[in-house]
Amino acid sequence: MKTLKISLILLAFFSLLNNSVFSQQLTGLKIIENVYNRAVGDDMTADLTMTLTNSSNENRVREIKQFSKDFGDLEKKIMFFVSPADVKNTSFMSWSYDEAGKDDDQWIYLPALKKTKRISSDSKSDYFMGSDFTYDDLGDRQPDQDVHKLLREEKLNGEDCYVVESIPKDKDYMYSKTITWIIKDKWIGLKKEFYDEDEELLKILKVNKYEDINGFWIITNTEMKNEQKDHKTIMILKNVKINTGINDDKFTERIMTRGI
Amino acid sequence: MKNKIIAILLCLTQITFAQNVDFTGYVRNYSGMLAGNGSNDFVILQNTFNLNIEKNMSGSSFKVNPIIYHNDSDSISFNLREAYLDLYFDSFDIRVGKQQIVWGKADGVFITDILSPKDLYEFLLPEFDEIRIGVTGAKLNYYMGGNTLELVWLPVFTPTNLPNSTSIWSPSMSFAMTPTFDYSKQDVKPSLENSELFLKYSALTEAIDFEIMGGYMWDDDPTVFSSIVTNSSGRNLFITPEHKRISLIGGSFSTTLGPFVFRGEGAYYFGKYFNTSDLTVNNGTVEKDYIHYMLGTDFNLLDINFSLQFIQKAVMDYEETIQSNVMFKDQYNNMMTFLARYSILNETLEFELFSYYDFEYDDALIRPRVLYDYSDTINLQIGANIFTGTEGQFGQYNNNDMLYGKIKYSF
Repeated sequence: MKTLKISLILLAFFSLLNNSVFSQQLTGLKIIENVYNRAVGDDMTADLTMTLTNSSNENRVREIKQFSKDFGDLEKKIMFFVSPADVKNTSFMSWSYDEAGKDDDQWIYLPALKKTKRISSDSKSDYFMGSDFTYDDLGDRQPDQDVHKLLREEKLNGEDCYVVESIPKDKDYMYSKTITWIIKDKWIGLKKEFYDEDEELLKILKVNKYEDINGFWIITNTEMKNEQKDHKTIMILKNVKINTGINDDKFTERIMTRGI
Repeated sequence: MKNKIIAILLCLTQITFAQNVDFTGYVRNYSGMLAGNGSNDFVILQNTFNLNIEKNMSGSSFKVNPIIYHNDSDSISFNLREAYLDLYFDSFDIRVGKQQIVWGKADGVFITDILSPKDLYEFLLPEFDEIRIGVTGAKLNYYMGGNTLELVWLPVFTPTNLPNSTSIWSPSMSFAMTPTFDYSKQDVKPSLENSELFLKYSALTEAIDFEIMGGYMWDDDPTVFSSIVTNSSGRNLFITPEHKRISLIGGSFSTTLGPFVFRGEGAYYFGKYFNTSDLTVNNGTVEKDYIHYMLGTDFNLLDINFSLQFIQKAVMDYEETIQSNVMFKDQYNNMMTFLARYSILNETLEFELFSYYDFEYDDALIRPRVLYDYSDTINLQIGANIFTGTEGQFGQYNNNDMLYGKIKYSF
């Protein structure tokens, strides 16, 4: 159960790395804002598989079924853990607010204890389910939390990219800086480097696959590798469905406890 | 009988496999050894098979949860922890059968969480989901957005399961003279008049989660009535355990403030029986109301998750003749719990320290343990149970300090 102190905004993560915008003289801030503000569907359903691989090449697999819906100034998400066996039927729900400074509301349902517990969303530097993604890596880190600088433009994997350096305004933040390669015409973050507090390279995020689903660019295969620990996590998104009209009642304690 | 149960279980398994029924559960080996008090006896040598059989259909579902314990004496005990059917409708759900019902926001403390009684065969040491006993009845949940009205009807009374008198977990009892026990009044027959009823209104909102509840129930712990009878053999003490009606109202809440989660829970119990030193009045008992509440917080500091709870019980209209017991020393009874949890190696290795401390008896239960996920299915655990003090609910087990290990395979 220790893996389940969650502040996950997975779907927003994919939107963070996807965007389209029409602009000419782009600053680093503008590029990141465009990525952040890119519209995605009103709701989304998907199956997520995370494969964690350690330095001995041993794999651990976590499977999740997730739903999200935009309610205007509020986004609600609910996730059901399918595997491993000891967390099966555990569910997690978060309500994220557009209002600046307003923390997410988050709950976790623990089936063995038959309890829905409210949890704090403050620990955004915690790692999600033992993976190499922190909650902040997966979530909506707002552009104004960092100072952005367009370093250069270059090709990566055959794609024309902007390369943007982002330095957090909070000097105590877990990363001293990040560098992101963003595809120009699709506004997808293709690669991202994370540097630790000593400005040493800590992690590298790579997008292995992205797809056009219902007119939205969706990243469906991502790899995060911790270079210092030689540990990596591959996230694969399957059965992605957008704008299916998920019922508002999906995001309630009733459904958390009942299951998928 | 044991073979029949296992045969039935296997048949059930074969049938249900064919119908896409979901099977999960675990197999666990659990060994515990007394330590530090001149005895190194293995007091726990247990194998457990826990099976959850579930099927979700459109508009309904069921769950059956058999559990088999195999102990060192080669004895096997079989139990159905839960066996229920769910019916789902647009705005309400109904659950019928044997079920565990958990209310409240407290952890490891039972204030409004009193619908499912406790199995104290090994005191409070089993995992909390194993401590609760399933109750037989019906539960109706009516939903209004994020608000829920829950009605529980239990026609069958299920009492606390106490360890037998030879167990090292048998609670200490002292009498002025050797008593004679009369258990003729202890059973509560299942009938409409003997039903238990509970009602809860709960809400899950942006700012706060809360529950308001009430219940008309039987006290899960029997009241011990005492009487002195003088006959030809002299003065004899007769002890007659009897479950008495009790009712309560209560509630709980949980909210966040920055990095802190604040929780609270409280209940007012009407008509709890306490034992007194005056056996001439009401067979050594007196009926009093009492308050039981908890205030707690959860937070993270230096990557360690902490949880603290303060718990108080206060007896209303207290009388000096009330005898102290392990749960009530005097009018005010104060306790706290402490939990610290820290994980490393991508959350595969976890260190935990959980403790109860009773201010009145100055006794405690301290439970350090280390858990390691050897794989996605195999979890290893070693730990200790350390009892301090000489009296009170923890101090009474001062000779039961224990080291233990568990291997658990989940499927």
